[in-house]
Amino acid sequence: MSTTDGDMGVIVRTGARATIPLIGIFGAYIVAHGHLTPGGGFQGGATIAGAGILFLLAFGLGEMKRHFNKNLYSVLEGIGGLAFLGAAMLGIGTAFFYNVLWHNGPFFNGKPGTLLSAGYLPIMNLAVGLKVFTGLVSAMVGLALYRRWRK
Amino acid sequence: MKRTLAYLSLLFILGVLLYVANPNYGLKFGPGGEEWKALRYTDDYYITHGLEEVGGTNIVTDIVFDYRGYDTIGEATVLFTAIAGAVALFRPWRRDGDEHH
Repeated sequence: MSTTDGDMGVIVRTGARATIPLIGIFGAYIVAHGHLTPGGGFQGGATIAGAGILFLLAFGLGEMKRHFNKNLYSVLEGIGGLAFLGAAMLGIGTAFFYNVLWHNGPFFNGKPGTLLSAGYLPIMNLAVGLKVFTGLVSAMVGLALYRRWRK
Repeated sequence: MKRTLAYLSLLFILGVLLYVANPNYGLKFGPGGEEWKALRYTDDYYITHGLEEVGGTNIVTDIVFDYRGYDTIGEATVLFTAIAGAVALFRPWRRDGDEHH
């Protein structure tokens, strides 16, 4: 029964331990199938960030600080944004945001409806999902870390 | 008194919404039938050409990442700026250490 540093007790911690992997897997599914089914990078990334925020709420700030690496999350968010812009730059010969991989690309060129299809859409979904996940978790940790109404 | 006013205003808003959403005499959101295709041809274009031109069976993703890619860049920038602003606003300032409250 350790309620130091704002964790929420045994029941919530056990429930979070059971549901966080499921939420993460569901979010990864939404991101990976963004070009086939409803959802996409932003929605899936927000779902995975919900798993991270649940970890922060259930286990408290001290446990989150032990697992949260600020520099790693900054680098991952930068990689997400740059991959998005790079995928948009691929078709700069025709136009910005031209889907050059579709119809005559070396990969992501399968039949419509399969996982490896739709040109640069899967790359962009992964990039935006990574960016949204790391960004939202960083914002939440920032809000929790720098609050000024602490006694 | 205040509570009664609040419930009355909620009832009023509900009535207005029910009136507006009624298809018989409420607001009409654009024309229907063939006139719809003449005036809102971009919707029809995305639905008929999206799968062939972009390749995703999710038309919304086709629009968001291909036809309206600039909008998505702006959204990503807004998210980045919001997080940078939150961290910059909430980090402890230098004079916070001197105040005792």
